[in-house]
Amino acid sequence: MRDIKKIILYGVLCAGLLVTFTPFLYMITTSLTKDTYALPYPPNVLPNQFYYQNYIEVWQSNNFNRYFLNSFFVAITTMICNVFISSLTAYGFAKFKFPLKEFIFKCFIISMMVPGILNIIPQFTVIQSLGLVDTYTGLIILYVGSGIAGSTFFLRGFFEGIPKELEESVTIDGGSRWTIFHKIVLPLAAPSIGTFSIFAFSGAWDEFFAALTIIKTEAKRTLPIALRMFEGKHASDYGLIFAASIIAVTPIILVFIIFQKQLVRGGISEGSIKG
Amino acid sequence: MKRIVTLLVMMTLLASTLAGCKGDEGAEKTGNATDSTKAKSESLLFWHTYSDAEEQVFLEQVMPQFEELYPNVDVEVVRMPYDGLKQQLITSIAGGVAPDVMRMDIIWVPEFANMGALEKVSDKNGFEAIKNNVFEGPLNTTFYQGEYYGLPLNTNTKIAIYNKQLLDSISAEAPTTFDELIDLSRQLKGQDDVWGIGLSGTHAWGMPPYFWSLGGRITNDDYSKASGFINSPESVSALETIVALNDEGLIGPCILGEEPGTWGGMEANNYLMIDDGPWYFSMQREAGIEDLVVPELFPAGSAGSHSIIGGEDVVMFSSSKAKDAAWNFMSFLLSEETQVTMGGTGLIPALKSAANNEAFSNDPINSIYVKQLETAYPRTPHYKWEKISEEFQLTFEMAIRKEGEPQVLLDELAVRLDSILSE
Amino acid sequence: MDTNLLQNRIKKGIKEWLEVLPYIAIGLILVFVFVFYPLFKNFYISVTEYTIIPGAESPFVGIENYKQIFNDDKFYYAFRNSVLMVLVTVPTQIIFGVVLAYIIDNARKGKTFFKTAYYIPVITSWIVVSYIFKYIFAGGKGGFMNYILMNLHIISEPIGWFQNTWTALAVTWILSIWKGIGWCMIIYIAGLQGIPKMLYESAALDGASEYQKFRFITIPQLAPITFFILINLTIGAFNSFIQTYILTNGAPMNTTHVMMSLMYARAFQNFEFGIASAMGVLQGAVILCIIIFQKWVIKKSER
Repeated sequence: MRDIKKIILYGVLCAGLLVTFTPFLYMITTSLTKDTYALPYPPNVLPNQFYYQNYIEVWQSNNFNRYFLNSFFVAITTMICNVFISSLTAYGFAKFKFPLKEFIFKCFIISMMVPGILNIIPQFTVIQSLGLVDTYTGLIILYVGSGIAGSTFFLRGFFEGIPKELEESVTIDGGSRWTIFHKIVLPLAAPSIGTFSIFAFSGAWDEFFAALTIIKTEAKRTLPIALRMFEGKHASDYGLIFAASIIAVTPIILVFIIFQKQLVRGGISEGSIKG
Repeated sequence: MKRIVTLLVMMTLLASTLAGCKGDEGAEKTGNATDSTKAKSESLLFWHTYSDAEEQVFLEQVMPQFEELYPNVDVEVVRMPYDGLKQQLITSIAGGVAPDVMRMDIIWVPEFANMGALEKVSDKNGFEAIKNNVFEGPLNTTFYQGEYYGLPLNTNTKIAIYNKQLLDSISAEAPTTFDELIDLSRQLKGQDDVWGIGLSGTHAWGMPPYFWSLGGRITNDDYSKASGFINSPESVSALETIVALNDEGLIGPCILGEEPGTWGGMEANNYLMIDDGPWYFSMQREAGIEDLVVPELFPAGSAGSHSIIGGEDVVMFSSSKAKDAAWNFMSFLLSEETQVTMGGTGLIPALKSAANNEAFSNDPINSIYVKQLETAYPRTPHYKWEKISEEFQLTFEMAIRKEGEPQVLLDELAVRLDSILSE
Repeated sequence: MDTNLLQNRIKKGIKEWLEVLPYIAIGLILVFVFVFYPLFKNFYISVTEYTIIPGAESPFVGIENYKQIFNDDKFYYAFRNSVLMVLVTVPTQIIFGVVLAYIIDNARKGKTFFKTAYYIPVITSWIVVSYIFKYIFAGGKGGFMNYILMNLHIISEPIGWFQNTWTALAVTWILSIWKGIGWCMIIYIAGLQGIPKMLYESAALDGASEYQKFRFITIPQLAPITFFILINLTIGAFNSFIQTYILTNGAPMNTTHVMMSLMYARAFQNFEFGIASAMGVLQGAVILCIIIFQKWVIKKSER
């Protein structure tokens, strides 16, 4: 009985994986196919040739490798700043009492509901008046700033879930709020911060419109811009476009796999309350 | 947690050093350039959307000449992706940091002129001389409310491109009239996945050559009225013909954006004929495209062979702080030498003397494009072009999908276009 | 007496603010500058005939832009499609997400592997996955999905996926669900790990079945997280943009636009900033109502 249940559950998981991964396989296969203006018939899921020339062509064209590094720098820095500032802010909203707290927090939530499609114009004027156009500082501030409301909303819930008993134990030992924050809250919320770090990284890594708007020098551009240039230029040569896409997607997956290990450690366990 | 932070810090440092190194190299280069010429008094920002090959020629052959002529002007040449370009431009204009000079799609000029973002050039030094030496059609794309807001830089049009293998399979020559094209399409109809005509879409860039050649009109000559033109008996019959050809299965699925697309369909021998601009050849030259296809003038219908005019203008923004330098740069781009050099990449010069220069016109494919241009029509130059094009596409798509009778649809379109044109 | 109380309260309030300020100051400044200011600007644009040229006048037009919205057939399609996007994709993602999370959380082996694997679509760029789906759902018999369905004899003729309003919308839904499930899963796993093991242990002692544990412990314990997910997915589904922009951009005949893709077109293609902003404000109001309603329903069901 146990075994049957196990088999069914793993069967479900594997069937789900098939659905999840077929599109990626199809993309990889296409990226390894020569001359792909026309759809190959019949379509292949698994590669039947290994035409890696597409990858070479992508990597060598248009400073693709330089853009790759730029993106990496921007995404990592955004992620670190975002995690730092958001967890501080979320901690303030989770564990402090102050007037207008709920009102401000509601405003945060409401701000997430109004689509920000036109926000880029006022945001750009701000960046410009700070003299930060064409700098990574400007771009990173914009990324972090426009993400804070959402990330505070995300992290606050997890911080609030941390039991009072733990904080009290620190207070009794004479620890300050700051000690509570970095000795108790941060380590215990590590899984949610880890999850959030990945959002922050991939958000900055994929962003296109703001990056193109703020960064004016070609040499400083980021990868999504290169990717779009590529798509524009190679119209419907899907082999090349997908080779470029795979190069662009790989680092996020790697970062995710690195962080994944931290995520497994689990949430707040009973042990920590008792101890 | 600590390990992660350490890892991250290390990765950031690594990335920033790498990015930094590269950045330094760039800085050194420009630094040297500044040293050698000493005081650069003015700088220009130039946006363009040249392709790889075009950009290479522009940077390696055109720009050095300009720097020699105007050593005190420093031009920063930035290539923009076409996708999202309008949004980029609008944001920059709103922030007061638009480029000084830009190479822009001809159809955008009236919109941006209407917005007040462009500097008029009608009164600039030497404008008259340039005006008299460029083709009239392209020049008119910079005309807005009595003034000129830019210079035509390069022009283009679409011609018919035939599939050599399919032509050979029925031992035929490339057709020159619509009737011949229809005839050949019918001969090929029996084959699986083969269509006579690969019409690229119902949009206002895909349809008009067919519509015009078959006798259709969109507006009157001064683009102020659509009623009586877009819904004239000739226009209705032109649309009916296209719908009938589609119903008969002679037009491929690409007309509704389906696969195979025009390029893929040509490569896979699905389409006897597609139409496209000079970039079709320049982008696929390495793949030996010229041996696989036959370029020909657009097939003549009852009204003759009328393709559509495309291309780019070079404009100056009113926010520019170096207007004289910008004008010098624009004039330089219109010099015969520059125009011929860029013509080498397949861009059709807007300057008459450059287009007639043997270096350009001796190329057999170029010569077909130049000939086609003589009878090509422009899109409706109006600052509400996007709206016009939207309405146009909606109507033609509905007709192809049999969502209405051509007569009724075009009557309705005429009313809507009239109200847009009169704004 | 009253004034004293008030004074004390103000004093206390200031003290509390000073205490919390070191933590939230940077966050607040950034939110005010990059979120609230653009938001107000957005609202201001929606009641003017906005000109983007710096220094140029933007005349006040009142609710004219809001009226204009309703004069457009495309708006009704876009609104319908955005609502459908929420109704179709949000429940599906939540159901699949919670089930997956439960299975993975209870699996002995391969937890990390499955978690990582299911999460990969989430972190893959929207642009890239939209291109993949465009390719997979290409029309004609060479299209991957058509080929599979024809070989399975589910369909006899290739489907022109993007040629028909409903199949085109279905593809955008499938893409959104496919990409979103992993996100729900990972949040739910975080939530599941927060449920005290004690509850399950005592339920097991009472002889509760696996289903009963899931129904009466897991689901109620996950309620706050579900609310968080619900808000995020609703906002996300309403704000979905790239999949529509790349896959259909309104085709066929402007029937598949969503609010965001229509707003983008209004603003950056037609330069109708006022109307686009008004649509944004309207959409914000609609989402707010939906969320208040959701909150009300959840509160009611908890009682």
